Amino acid sequence: MRRVAVTGLGVVSPLGNDPASFFDSLVAGRSGVRRLEGRSFERLGVRVGAPASFDAAAFFPAARVRMLDRVSQFALYAAAQALAASGGALDGCDRRRAGVFLGTGMGGSETTDDGYHILYAEHSDRVKPYSVLMAMNNAAASWIALDHRLEGPNLTYSTACSSSAVAIGEAARRIAHGETDVMLAGGAEAPLTFGTLKAWEALRTLAPEDADAGASCRPFSKDRAGLVLGEGAAVVVLEDWERARARGAPVLAELTGYGLFTDAGHITRPSVEGQAEAMRRALAHAGCGAADVGYINAHGTGTLANDGVETAAIKEVFGERARAIPVSSTKSMHAHLLGAAGAVEFVATVLALSRRTLPPTMHLRVADPECDLDYVPGVARTAGEAPVALSNSFAFGGTNAVLVARRP
Amino acid sequence: MSTLERLQSMLARDFDLQPAALLPEATLESLDIDSLRMIEILFTVEETFGITVGAEPAEIRARVRTLGELAAYVDELVAARPEAAAP
Repeated sequence: MRRVAVTGLGVVSPLGNDPASFFDSLVAGRSGVRRLEGRSFERLGVRVGAPASFDAAAFFPAARVRMLDRVSQFALYAAAQALAASGGALDGCDRRRAGVFLGTGMGGSETTDDGYHILYAEHSDRVKPYSVLMAMNNAAASWIALDHRLEGPNLTYSTACSSSAVAIGEAARRIAHGETDVMLAGGAEAPLTFGTLKAWEALRTLAPEDADAGASCRPFSKDRAGLVLGEGAAVVVLEDWERARARGAPVLAELTGYGLFTDAGHITRPSVEGQAEAMRRALAHAGCGAADVGYINAHGTGTLANDGVETAAIKEVFGERARAIPVSSTKSMHAHLLGAAGAVEFVATVLALSRRTLPPTMHLRVADPECDLDYVPGVARTAGEAPVALSNSFAFGGTNAVLVARRP
Repeated sequence: MSTLERLQSMLARDFDLQPAALLPEATLESLDIDSLRMIEILFTVEETFGITVGAEPAEIRARVRTLGELAAYVDELVAARPEAAAP
């Protein structure tokens, strides 16, 4: 098996549109969650979300913007950043051995929403000519391949909230098995449309707007009231370790483990055993033990169900050591990016390792006896010496995915 | 404004094409207007001129090779509108 290096990061998020501003915001405890303004949101029962401040016109010509759903705009910009940061990962690369794996839960949901609005609300038949090309779930990954002429495997994974963790894990496997040399992997999501938000609202899983809107998502707090939806993308450049070293690439981390385990028990209810087994498999794949792990970026959605189960799963895997491992949910700040969540949080995990700084869990107001780990509450912290970090992503549908990164 | 002038201004404004290149004899190919981009142009043309382009893509491709031919085609469809035919 070949080793896999992480050599570039790109981010579009509610906390900034580059990895540095994103991570600085996390460390500062800033929240990107706020009241959603605009007429289209007036009929929402829950009007809180985490929008990205992203001006497509600044990055794409007008004719191109009309072909790109917001989700693809995010993905393309994140991919371009990651490639630029990699210091030339594609230089001298056989493009047939370079691919793109992305995750998305809802694909081009803005296009779908717009199309339905034209048909059902305006009673017009003038559906936009590129609707299919914009809404299809693989649009983002395809555009990245087109822009950078990447002829290797191009796949889009859709496993709800673990989509992009799966995409990154599967991409790493392709490199490890020697099938590809360079992969752009990550995820994108743009779910802040009236239709999508209404659907989530109907599932009664969204947190109501708090008096302090920014504190609406409160993972691991006894008064947690649900998740908050956010939008954005993250793409990482993964590369054969030897190749990255040989070309003097900036190696931010080694992706050492990927664990996948499916609950197969309930469509939404998480299971301690399912989450624990995904973590165990990831650690086994990484060939490391509990003592090596110095940080866990939790799935930590802020729902009643997840946070207690995830806490119990971490305790089951790490036993006595569980309470000594800092665990934080950055969703308290960037909210839940669904299909992009795993990738955005993997970026946070890699930066936590490389900058030796652990982002906090914000808004942990009331201790919950069920959630009794060290959640790095309220204030960022300097990382310890342990070189390994986990990023947990668990999903509706039951596909649990865990990524393991090691400081190089 | 003639049909050609309206098309020229629409293509320059909405499709990022250089006004100087938008000559009547310019082929769609030379303007980088492929079959996919043509679908969007026809959608915009329908809205701008209040017409419906019902022809099959292959038929349109055979008839419309240049910007001037596109203008002539649009004029034909405008003249064939039901309200245009009314006394």
